[in-house]
Parts: sequence; structure tokens; C-alpha cells
Amino acid sequence: MRNFGEWRWGIGLVVAVLVLGLPVPQPQAKPQERVFRVTARQFAFEPPVLQVNPGDRVVIELRSSDVVHGLYVEGYDVEAVAEPGQPDRIVFVADRPGTYRLRCSVTCGDLHPFMGGKLRVGRNPWLWKGAALALWGVTLALFAARPRTREGGR
Amino acid sequence: MKHSHALALATLVFLFTGVALGPVRRWWRNREVVEIRARMPERGGFSPKALTVPAGTPVRLRLVSDDVVHGFAIGGQDAPVVDLYPGKPVEVTLTFDRPGTYTFYCTRWCGPNHWRMRGTITVEGPTTPEPTSPPPLYVQLGLDIDAPHEATVVPQERPRAFRGQRWASRIPPEMQTVEYVRTHAPEEVWLTLRALPATADLDDQQVWDLVAYLWRQATSREALAEGARLYAQQCAACHGEAGQGDGPFAPQQVTMPDFTDPAWSFGASPALWQGKVLRGGMGTTMPSWGLIFTEEQTWAVVDYLWTFSMDLEPGFPSTVP
Repeated sequence: MRNFGEWRWGIGLVVAVLVLGLPVPQPQAKPQERVFRVTARQFAFEPPVLQVNPGDRVVIELRSSDVVHGLYVEGYDVEAVAEPGQPDRIVFVADRPGTYRLRCSVTCGDLHPFMGGKLRVGRNPWLWKGAALALWGVTLALFAARPRTREGGR
Repeated sequence: MKHSHALALATLVFLFTGVALGPVRRWWRNREVVEIRARMPERGGFSPKALTVPAGTPVRLRLVSDDVVHGFAIGGQDAPVVDLYPGKPVEVTLTFDRPGTYTFYCTRWCGPNHWRMRGTITVEGPTTPEPTSPPPLYVQLGLDIDAPHEATVVPQERPRAFRGQRWASRIPPEMQTVEYVRTHAPEEVWLTLRALPATADLDDQQVWDLVAYLWRQATSREALAEGARLYAQQCAACHGEAGQGDGPFAPQQVTMPDFTDPAWSFGASPALWQGKVLRGGMGTTMPSWGLIFTEEQTWAVVDYLWTFSMDLEPGFPSTVP
């Protein structure tokens, strides 16, 4: 107990680094082609969230139901621009897990900056890592960081 | 003391001149630049909407978007289309050689009333050599483009040009001209062909295939491709990508034509369709394209419209890219 008391913060840090560095297990589904028909209108995408597995081939067919809109996938750096009557499509392989923001890339009106969506590729590693880190922090606080004054110190 | 006063005064004058020179220089540089600001049509569209410029001298235009993405192009001209992004002013230099009135228009769907966003440039010259272009075909023929044109005979299935090619020799040569096709409705052509002794051994559908063959001969692959491009850009938002009148901006109050419906299509001649494209109106929100499309472009669009009801060329009508 004495040694643990000496090293507890060091151990806490090492475990925290391990939590951040370890890969998050991803669903091991066979990669497949996923086609999304996304409709853009002022000021939303329908559907707003696209869920795929890592390694999937993603096809996004963008259609506009009012004015000219764009769909830009952050992190993958691909863009589609659609005008009413002129659909566009983008194809890419979702090889990086995580949650990426979709943004309208063409100034389409007053609320254009708020027009967005999400592309979820597998599990979001940073969400899971963050949760594990928080859990570890709570554990550490409960069991390791006991006040010294109790039972006359160490 | 007097000397230092004079020196201070001179320094002040020098400084103020320097400060004032910047704006003056900018004004001098831009004195010939005409600024056109673009806003959504609900907020005023282009301003100014009308310009007058002299013929033959370069005009410098500074195009600024104040809200969303707009475009700028001049009807009937080869000048490139300019995209106007908010915060990125664009300068273009245009020279108009021929006096007359030119229409400039927005090329991006900026709002529900995008198609209303237009303006004019009047080019004034010492002489006004009006190029005497003949009136459009529908005027020459005296067609009433607002009259109903329901076809009474329609094919069982889509007429196919490549099938009609087999019996092409049965068609009299005087019918195998662009002028003949453009001035006749498919229904009339079918009735004429059906009455010929040369087609006595063909069934009704085969005669329809002959009609499609004639229509294919009156156009080209390039024209159809250009028509498809223009249709997607300018027409599909209301008339629908597949020509069924179901585009997102199709007006709710009027019955939109279904170009795939032979009863609607085959009773009208290409000349009548060109008239509708050129003039627009029809008591609806259909814009007039005569000010924007060139003569060839109007025919390209009309040729393409027939591909919704007939198989003229593989790959047409073109759908999702």
C-alpha cells in the first residue's frame, strides 16, 4: 500500500496514456457499398446522419430541393454540389473511423452556416477513449486519492 | 520662428495631401468600373438592373454578391459564365461590338425566384445596323402556341429510331429534311406515312419507328448533348430531370406538361415547342428564353425534349450522372 501511494499518480498517468493510445475495436463487418440519397434543402440535409462501417464504399447522391447546395465531408475532403434538377454524386472509401462533420459548402442563404450533418464511420474512437478516460479518472479519485490525514497518514 | 511655422505648415500640407491621395487614386482607377451588386430576387436581384454602354469600348464590370452564390452570364453570348461568391468580387471586362440590347442573368439557383433575376445592357453606337434575322419559325408559320395540341393517335410503345432505320427507304425524300420535321407534329407525319402505299406492309408501331427515325435524322448527337446540358441547367428544376413535370420548383397551381406522355408531345411540332421556349409565358412562371439562348441552343433543347417520348439515340434522355 505504501508503494502504491508513492506511485499512484504515475500509474494513473500511464493507464491514461494507454487508454488514449489503444485502438478502439471496430465492427469487423465485411466492407460493402452504401448508397445514400441525400436531399438538401434550406437549411438541412435529409438524412442528417450517415452511418457506415470502416472500409465501406460510400456513395452519396446529392439532390437539392430548393437552391444550390454543397455537401462537403470534413476529414475526407470530398465535395458534391447540386442544383435543383442537377444532382451530383461522390464516391469514397470510408477508411478512417470516427465521426466527421458534413457541411453545406455553397452559401445558400441566411442560415447557411448552420446547415450540417454527420458521417459516422464505425465507432467514434475519441468518444470511447474519452469515456474510458473519464471512468479511469473517477476510479482513481475514489480509490487512490484518499486524504492523507486519515489513520494518521501513511 | 517664422521659418519653423512655415516648415510645420508645409509638413502638414504634405501629410494631408498624402492621406488624401490614396482615396483619390482609388477613385481615379475605378472611375470606369461599373459595379453590379447581386442579391436574391426577393431582395431586389441585380442592381443596377439596366446599364447603357457605348459600342466598341471595353466595359469593366465589378460583380459583387451580397448574400448567396449567384452567377453572371450574358444571353446569346459566348462570354464565360462567372460564379459570384459572397465576399469574392469578380471583375470582368466586356466589349460589345454591335449596338443593341443584351440580357444578363443569374446562372445559379439562388432562391425560388432565381429565374426572375435578370437585367439588361443597352449598347449604344453611332450607327444601328440592325441585323435582320428572320422571325422565329412559329411566327413564320403563324402557329398559336397557346392552343391545345392533344394528339389523337399515339403509339403503343416508345417509337425507336434505330428500328425505323430498316425501312428508311420507304420515306419520300421530301420528308427527309430538317425543315419538314421542324414544321410538322409527329402525329401528322405518322398519318402522312401511314397513308403511303410504301408503308402498307408495316404495322402501326413500325410506322411510328419511322417517325422516330426522321426525328433522329433532323438532329445530331452533339445537339442532343448540348440540349441535355441546357435542360439540366435551366429546365429540370421545374420540368423534372425525367421530363415529367415533377421538379422541385414546379408551380403548384398549373398542370405541368409531361414530356414523356405521347398524347401531349406528338400533337405539337418542333416549331411550336421552340415557340414556347423562346417566348415563355403560357400564363405560368415559364421564363422567356429567347433573350438568353442562341438559335442553335433553342433547337438543341427542343431536340432533346423529344428524347423523353422517343428513343432517338442511346444514352438519351440522360439521367443521373
